[in-house]
Amino acid sequence: MVDIKKITSLLEDVVGPSRVTDRNFDLLPYSRDLSPSEQKMPTHVAMPETREEIQAILKIANEKNVPVYIRGGGTSHWDAYLPQESGIMLDLGRMNKIVNINDRDLVASVQPGCTWAKLDQELRKQGLTYLCSEAGGPAMTVGGSVMKAGGGPHSTAKFGFHGNQDIISLEMVLPNGDVVETGSAAWPSAGKFKRQCLGPDLAGMFIGAEGILGVCTELSLRIRPVTDISERFTATMKTLNDVIEFGHFINRHVGDEFLQGVYLWVDPSAPDVFFMMIDIFGYEREIVDHRKKKVIAKIQELGGEIGDRAPADDYFGRILTGLQDLFNTGVWHFFGSGSLRIDDITFLYRIWREEVIEKRGYTKAGFGGQILPRDWLAFMVTNYNEPEEWKELVKMADEIDEITLRGPVVPYGIGGRDGLRRFVAERDTGYYRLLKTLKKTLDPKNILQRGIYIPEEELR
Amino acid sequence: MRIEEYKDMIYACGRCEFCRGFDYNDRCPEVFTQYWESSTARGRMAIARAILEGKLEYSEDLAERVFGCFMCGRCREECKKAAQIDVIEVTKAMRQDFIDQGIKIPEAGAHMADTVTSSGNIFADPTKVHNKWSEGLEFKKGSGTLFFPGCLASHRFKEKTNILVQLLQAAGYELDFLGEDQTCCGTPYWITGKMEHSKKYAEAYLKKLQDRGVKEIITPCPSCFRAFDEEYPKLLGIEKLPIKVRHTSEVLEEIVKEEKLKLKQSVKKKITYHDPCEIGRYRDIYEPPRKVIESIPGVEFIEMSRNREHAFCCGGGGGCKIMFPDHSQKVSDERIRDFVKTDAELMATICPACEMNLTHGMYEADLEVRVLDLAELLAVSAGIISPEILEPDYFPED
Repeated sequence: MVDIKKITSLLEDVVGPSRVTDRNFDLLPYSRDLSPSEQKMPTHVAMPETREEIQAILKIANEKNVPVYIRGGGTSHWDAYLPQESGIMLDLGRMNKIVNINDRDLVASVQPGCTWAKLDQELRKQGLTYLCSEAGGPAMTVGGSVMKAGGGPHSTAKFGFHGNQDIISLEMVLPNGDVVETGSAAWPSAGKFKRQCLGPDLAGMFIGAEGILGVCTELSLRIRPVTDISERFTATMKTLNDVIEFGHFINRHVGDEFLQGVYLWVDPSAPDVFFMMIDIFGYEREIVDHRKKKVIAKIQELGGEIGDRAPADDYFGRILTGLQDLFNTGVWHFFGSGSLRIDDITFLYRIWREEVIEKRGYTKAGFGGQILPRDWLAFMVTNYNEPEEWKELVKMADEIDEITLRGPVVPYGIGGRDGLRRFVAERDTGYYRLLKTLKKTLDPKNILQRGIYIPEEELR
Repeated sequence: MRIEEYKDMIYACGRCEFCRGFDYNDRCPEVFTQYWESSTARGRMAIARAILEGKLEYSEDLAERVFGCFMCGRCREECKKAAQIDVIEVTKAMRQDFIDQGIKIPEAGAHMADTVTSSGNIFADPTKVHNKWSEGLEFKKGSGTLFFPGCLASHRFKEKTNILVQLLQAAGYELDFLGEDQTCCGTPYWITGKMEHSKKYAEAYLKKLQDRGVKEIITPCPSCFRAFDEEYPKLLGIEKLPIKVRHTSEVLEEIVKEEKLKLKQSVKKKITYHDPCEIGRYRDIYEPPRKVIESIPGVEFIEMSRNREHAFCCGGGGGCKIMFPDHSQKVSDERIRDFVKTDAELMATICPACEMNLTHGMYEADLEVRVLDLAELLAVSAGIISPEILEPDYFPED
């Protein structure tokens, strides 16, 4: 049982009274995220502004055995940052500074509460870009996003990988208060310029751990000159196998460095129409034109029909990054989603078609995905109305997740008890056992993000 | 509860946080002053939802979050994209619920509405003091075009209001003025949720105006403008007020466009413009003020970084100026920082509340810069008033 007033007083000693609250109406907004996860209330919200304040809060948490949860923009799709137990919520909104833009080494350092959009706006003033990711809304923070191994559709569409892969170094406060810098930054007399250069890739250990191993207080990431030359068009393919062949073509002929995005959308009203939105970016017109020519030739060889760019503009600009009219038909939920081999997209498609549409008669969810180099990032997505459709939707989504994850699909977000953590725990893999060992070692009292990723009982 | 009427909107919040924006506190003046998510539109929808579901009750402590909203509409502007939640209307309904349930609201807010009822204006001025600005001016009773200054322009900005009327009259507008019959438009009722007298008040006011033969109202105050043009029809259950209502931004643009005055004096100043929330985001009046500025010879116009629909509030909105003066000052200080970055010599706007708050902001920042109504600039250029009013050391008697 948390002694609320005592903890309030201790937190006030650290950050001052104006940046601590235990009032129920202040706690409420921190009890939900973008997902349909059940409401989970913290006992306190504290708003640190420095690494040292976070260290001091973690010290209190350890001494009083109070769990600490972390809030960025509050736009997780997976219950990844909601308080699974009564505890302190760290709102990192005020740790939102761009620490440095190094245009020589092409590295930007930011605090975790900086949003992708803010970073990109500043970079573009210097002719640079990260490619902001706004799929979770403009409030989607770099810290929250990277800690869940995300990075959003812009980076995916343009570079073919998630933004977290651009991370060079992290500054993390461990549950015991120790500060760790990763990559080249781990060497005190060097700088922030390289991810993998001193022993194990510890940044990789923290990325995707959803904050259970440490609180991120600074991130340095690769930036690049803006790529002004781009081509966008659409294509409709006759079969999913044609889409798969196209995916392999992209993979083999252009490789990981191809700046491009291929986005598949299948609408529930027309489940046999495989609509692709294709972006090609580059620094040289000649190269972009050459790639476009090859891509179009392949689509035509496969019997696909090339379309104009307007629907893709609408999808990327209005819906995916603009969120325009997004909630007109209810709030949003992703389910039946994850990473999978290019050939395995048929597995997920069949579940969507047979289990969601035909068996359950649920016709509001679309099916889509992005072809990344060598794999897919695929999902089902729907709008639903709260509260009337909430429980029914969650039940259906859980069933679909269950079926999906039995197959060749790796979840890309885990989260808490309303997320996918049970699926991880059930599998009891060596990977999971190692993660538990790491967690127990770094956080013996299970202070940080208790109940996220690993159920508490698994750590006793 | 009043918020039940907005249940669909409240539940439509997809929790995307578009409202807060991409730099934590650069959009919302309430987050700027109160930090927590409970100050964002997303937070307010969560609170409203909890109240609807019986998980939370209105309380005196909650009042700061609900009455500390500047009603600037910045979050609503963003939400237009994603979920079309009318955050302002939900906030007004919440404020009304406070009153209906007898929960204590900030004393200054309650007092302001009561003062309107008892004295006819928000300052409890006797009529003679309230109308002092009009000394030396002549009006044409029954002209059909009513000049309605509103409380702030009458009380705080006597010289500015006088200059505005001189300008309008020089441009050929035959203005009527209610004189001793003028009372507040009623805005304090709806921004504090004290609606018990509002319908009767609006009915009586409309009758008074119609009996006087008013066909058109011209007002420099965006709140009065919206009161007559938006709130009265809602209160009275009519589609449109049977009287035309125009804000001076539109009238000044008309003067310029139709060349009703010759702008012969050059105003060699670097000027920026602050978009008042209630004519900008509320009514999309962005270009008319800019056209007025651009028409003045000699002016070098510089935009602030946050302008038009992105403009940051002056700190005077939503009744915060009187209910939470410290928050209000903090917001105004921030807006002054936007001004300073422009390197402009003058701040122009077209709202008495903004003029007052930004002037206080200039004092606080120890800047010798005048905050002028567009009408004053126009009056200087038209040779109606001395250019000395543009100078930083000029100090109006009011």
